[in-house]
Amino acid sequence: MSAVAPNQAASPPSETAGGVEVRGLEHRFGANQALHPTDLQIPPGGVVGLLGPNGSGKSTLMRLLTGLVPKQRGEISVDGVRLTGDGLAIRRRTTYAPGELHLYGELKGGEHLRFLMRGRPGSSLERARAIAGELGLPLDRRIREYSHGMKRQLLFAAAIAPEVRVRILDEISEGLDPAKRSQVLDLIDADAARGTTILLSSHHLGEVDRSCQRLVFLNAGRVVADESAEEVRRRAGRLVRLRFSPGALKPTSTTVLEGPGVESVEEAADRVNVMLSDDDPRAFLGRLAASGDLPAPISVEHGRISLSELYRTLYGVEGT
Amino acid sequence: MFKGSRGYIIYGIGFFAVLEIMLVAAIYWWPTFEQNIPSIKAIAAPIAMLSDLVDQVDQFGVSGYIVGQHFFKGCSALGTAAAVLFAANSVAGEAHRGTMEIWLARPVSRLRLVSERWLGGLLVVIGPVFATSLTVPGLLGMFDKTMAISDLMRCSVHMSAFLAAIYAVSFLWSCHSSEPMRISFVMLFVSVMVFALYLVEGVTHYSLYRLVEIKVFMRIITNDAMNWTLLAPMLACTAAAYGLSVRAFLKRVP
Repeated sequence: MSAVAPNQAASPPSETAGGVEVRGLEHRFGANQALHPTDLQIPPGGVVGLLGPNGSGKSTLMRLLTGLVPKQRGEISVDGVRLTGDGLAIRRRTTYAPGELHLYGELKGGEHLRFLMRGRPGSSLERARAIAGELGLPLDRRIREYSHGMKRQLLFAAAIAPEVRVRILDEISEGLDPAKRSQVLDLIDADAARGTTILLSSHHLGEVDRSCQRLVFLNAGRVVADESAEEVRRRAGRLVRLRFSPGALKPTSTTVLEGPGVESVEEAADRVNVMLSDDDPRAFLGRLAASGDLPAPISVEHGRISLSELYRTLYGVEGT
Repeated sequence: MFKGSRGYIIYGIGFFAVLEIMLVAAIYWWPTFEQNIPSIKAIAAPIAMLSDLVDQVDQFGVSGYIVGQHFFKGCSALGTAAAVLFAANSVAGEAHRGTMEIWLARPVSRLRLVSERWLGGLLVVIGPVFATSLTVPGLLGMFDKTMAISDLMRCSVHMSAFLAAIYAVSFLWSCHSSEPMRISFVMLFVSVMVFALYLVEGVTHYSLYRLVEIKVFMRIITNDAMNWTLLAPMLACTAAAYGLSVRAFLKRVP
């Protein structure tokens, strides 16, 4: 991942079947720069998590990839096809589940699936009905009678059913109960295992932790991190977080934590985040226990730090 | 508003039913109206434009009465309302209720989506005009009167071109907006004002409803030909508004 200069001419992306490539893509809504110049290369196969707080540019990027938002600058290639015109060629080769949950309340579930599957082969509709059945959706009931989660599942069924090589799923598990979320993620995992490329945006870092092999983090329209989920987990394994009683910490008292095996020490209010140079905290914890200059921490966390906390620590960005 | 041919058919049948009920009622009361023309003329005398309308009916007989009741009154008044309401909801309605994204996200070209929506709504507006006009000879048969189908069809084409222009302009606005209620309110308010102008001597020539007044239809009937001087600008306006609608829709963000 790298940013390019705004006025730098974007060279056309190479066209890889099943992959997603973006070069020099940027977008403005009036005076608001929703997406700063962005490069992104996603090879075929696997689940890529697109993470970031509200307004970070996740949905704009996904809409740009499918041609829903007309491209202003930059180049996009999805499944080997360059985005041109209104993006029809790409929409034929991908599926997209929008994050916004607005459906036609007057239609029955089955009718709505047919509406969503327009332009797809008949077999896709049959498969969507079968998936909806697996998810327990009552297709003979009107959408206005559906719960928030049921509507989300209907969109998911329509997005996972067609035989395509790339799926773009925006907040697909938002509003689902844990059991349904797990069922949806199982279907995503199974689909990815068949070689499908899935771009998954989410606020729920727990699910990307489970399903994604790669994580792309956006904030304020910029990509602030792009690394493998494994690397992120390793990084989390090197982080030790100490919590002290309010007012217990004195200025400069944390300097005693610096030393061999410590990459950085960051103090925030009553918390201290320590990034170790490896994932073995024993030497550090020994030094901490032996130090008489520090008050006793009320909690010490290591290896179980959530991604949201990790991102807050690493990038200063709130991930919900 | 419309999510398939079923929706178009339902709205089209509804509009046909309303127009047909008005037409049946008008024809049913024709003998009474004919007998009372002198009294009606006396009542209308203080209002020059109204008096002129009654004079035209008196002059052209049942044909003048039919084009006045069916085209000038029924189709132009109700047709304008239908054209504005259907067009206003077509695109802006989707944006207003947030369904535009799922409408556009399917693998169907935007040109096709907007053209289908445009044409479907237009057919709902003009289809009933032709369909109800076809029933006129049968209804007039109750009183041993008749009108030629060819005359009625030519008048329907002219009426439809007028409604199509209103529909196309409303649709164009809809392609730029997310507020169907505002479009409907403003367009209907303007339509009422423009219709009111028709009845005011001195400014009547500024009213667009001069394009569909009784004299225009009677000229079409007596000449056995379309009035291309009026028809061509209406068709051009429709085509231009359609082209601009497509352009706007292709750039539309959900």
